[in-house]
Amino acid sequence: MIENQENSRTENSVLLDLNIKRFRYSGAELDSLQRIEMNLAPGSLTVVVGESGSGKSTLGEVLAGILPRQGADQCLGTMNLAGQRIEYTDLESQRINVAGWAKHVGLLPQEAGHYLSRIRERVAEELVFSLENEGVPREEMRQRIAGLSKQLGLDHLLERDPAKLSGGQERLVALAALAISEPSVMVLDEPLAGLDSWATDAVTEMISRLRADGTAMVVLSRTAKPWADNTDALGKLVDGQLSKISAEEHVQQPVSEPTQWRATPGEAEILLDFSGVQLGYPGAERPVVDGLDLQVRAGECVGLAGANGSGKTTVLKTAAGLLRPTAGTLAVSASTGMLLQNSSDQLFERTVLREVSFGLPKKGKQRLRVPEVLSQLGLEAFAETHPYELPASARRLVALATVLVREPQVLLLDEPTEALDSAGLACLQEVIDSVLNRGGSVLLSTHDQDFMHRTAHRVHQMLGTPESTTSGA
Amino acid sequence: MPKSINLHPFTVLALAAAVVTMATAANLWWVSCAVLTACALVAGWTGHLRRLAVLSASILIPTFASLLLIHGLVSQDASGLIAAAGPFRVTVSGLETAMVLGLRTAVLVVAGLLCTLLIDKHQLVAAIDLSPAPPQVGYLLAATLFLLPHMAEKQRTIGQAQALRQAGTGRGLSGWFQRVRLRAVPLVLASLQDAHDRSAHLSARGFPAAGSHARLRTVADSVTQQRVRWVALLFAVLGPIAILAPFWGSR
Repeated sequence: MIENQENSRTENSVLLDLNIKRFRYSGAELDSLQRIEMNLAPGSLTVVVGESGSGKSTLGEVLAGILPRQGADQCLGTMNLAGQRIEYTDLESQRINVAGWAKHVGLLPQEAGHYLSRIRERVAEELVFSLENEGVPREEMRQRIAGLSKQLGLDHLLERDPAKLSGGQERLVALAALAISEPSVMVLDEPLAGLDSWATDAVTEMISRLRADGTAMVVLSRTAKPWADNTDALGKLVDGQLSKISAEEHVQQPVSEPTQWRATPGEAEILLDFSGVQLGYPGAERPVVDGLDLQVRAGECVGLAGANGSGKTTVLKTAAGLLRPTAGTLAVSASTGMLLQNSSDQLFERTVLREVSFGLPKKGKQRLRVPEVLSQLGLEAFAETHPYELPASARRLVALATVLVREPQVLLLDEPTEALDSAGLACLQEVIDSVLNRGGSVLLSTHDQDFMHRTAHRVHQMLGTPESTTSGA
Repeated sequence: MPKSINLHPFTVLALAAAVVTMATAANLWWVSCAVLTACALVAGWTGHLRRLAVLSASILIPTFASLLLIHGLVSQDASGLIAAAGPFRVTVSGLETAMVLGLRTAVLVVAGLLCTLLIDKHQLVAAIDLSPAPPQVGYLLAATLFLLPHMAEKQRTIGQAQALRQAGTGRGLSGWFQRVRLRAVPLVLASLQDAHDRSAHLSARGFPAAGSHARLRTVADSVTQQRVRWVALLFAVLGPIAILAPFWGSR
């Protein structure tokens, strides 16, 4: 890891010292981590970048004490935290009390929803779930909620059901639930994924404030761009090996090739036509989307922009036929296919091949396209792998393959860049181009501004307020 | 819109326990009918009558049918014969037995279902967490109560993913069976995966609590309700003894 002299702190104390010689999952043939050395000082920001499958999430779980699983995974190394020394040896690893460890090191997982307990009725209760289990007095819990919700602008979410938040809102709540316990080290796996610009600013500001209070932050991310200016240490994980890297070096790396400019189709056929559409969920006080007028023409890529919870997912699901407008008219004059925001929601078969072939007629021509689609997305080597065993980026591509194999004329993409690494992004760009080139259209929602500007012919700004959203919005 | 009642969950449960044990011990058709009527009135007042009727009917209709088959149609009692044909004998005492047993079961079922409709499950878990009961009790109850809603949400998500691939979209009874067949295995596998993914983070958040724990949620209670609970529990335990004691040794 390279030290950024400008930002490095004067404190010599080290909160956490990690030295992992190697880590291997139970039953795996290769090590997932090798020669990892990290020293975290109070208030420091350490950013670890890497492609999907490089070992970022594994590193996060090792730091959080979730890995290695005793008696299963192999780990060799040491970790020093809060005066405790943990020895990992080939023969035996010390058992870590995960709850006790979490008081020092908290982890926000890549799928932030997994951090939420799902057994609390309101967001306010979910935020203090760990404090409740520690027996923190009610008045103190209320004070911490008030402070945190002010910082992150969560007031409008506090009474909401945590199971009915949008993807971005879910991540924000999970991050707040982690921060409320005030661990001395916070490990954040893709903390800005799916967040709108306002939430991104709020999270970035919160991280700065926590650092000022002495919390050491470790950010695991595909890109160091949002953090490059004030990081203390920047490392790159490649095949489980952590190497030093400078911010300039990282920024110079090409992320993906910009798409060639395309002319916006003028009078091409309208494939999707929302006219005065109102969308809502049963039992909700207000509609999620009201008075939506939007047309998507053949050969056109339209981006949906808006705050977390403004109804982007609801619009896409309606276009896909999963929801019906409560008012107004929606005309869909071509076949649609949709990539859901959370890949796990779209995958349920035992192997990638079975997953992509699911529901296709056995002797149909679409079935013959399966190998071609797998090859197009670079997934042919994973045909017999369980989708859940794949890295997040490959899993996202499998979900995309299940859509592409049906050759939809209208491709609906919900936060398609989330979890994708640079190779995955290149595949996605190719897919979008191919759909547009064959006269189809693409409607997508994303908070990735670069991707939006590179890809969409035009952007439709959603006007719905986050307060008005409910289930799945 | 159903009304919410402002009673502590333990109060509702204690009252239900007292009513069910005493009505069962009394074994009188009119007591059972009175309890059922009272349940219906409470359900009507709180706006749960329709749900209570549907849920109760789905359990009690098969129960009454089986009791009639066992006691009403093939009664061995010689007296009070109403009709006979081959092995079938319908007698007055057989029908009475079926009716009394059915009504006793109905009291248990209807009172139990009414409790589930009246008590907010989040309030119940909070009440247990705030009581001196071991933390494991609240954990077990939470895991049990919230499992079904989680699975329902999961199967809805799987259904949407399958509908996107034009699978499981059939209508009618055959469509329903097709959906069940297509969703069953993914539902179990996804639920197991979900439990695995969440378990480490639940542990990290200290769940289930090992020692003293607190709740942000408050559960309204009062001295009066506490007294009512004690009285109801006394009735639940001593009531049946008082009712049955005079008959001990007489049969």
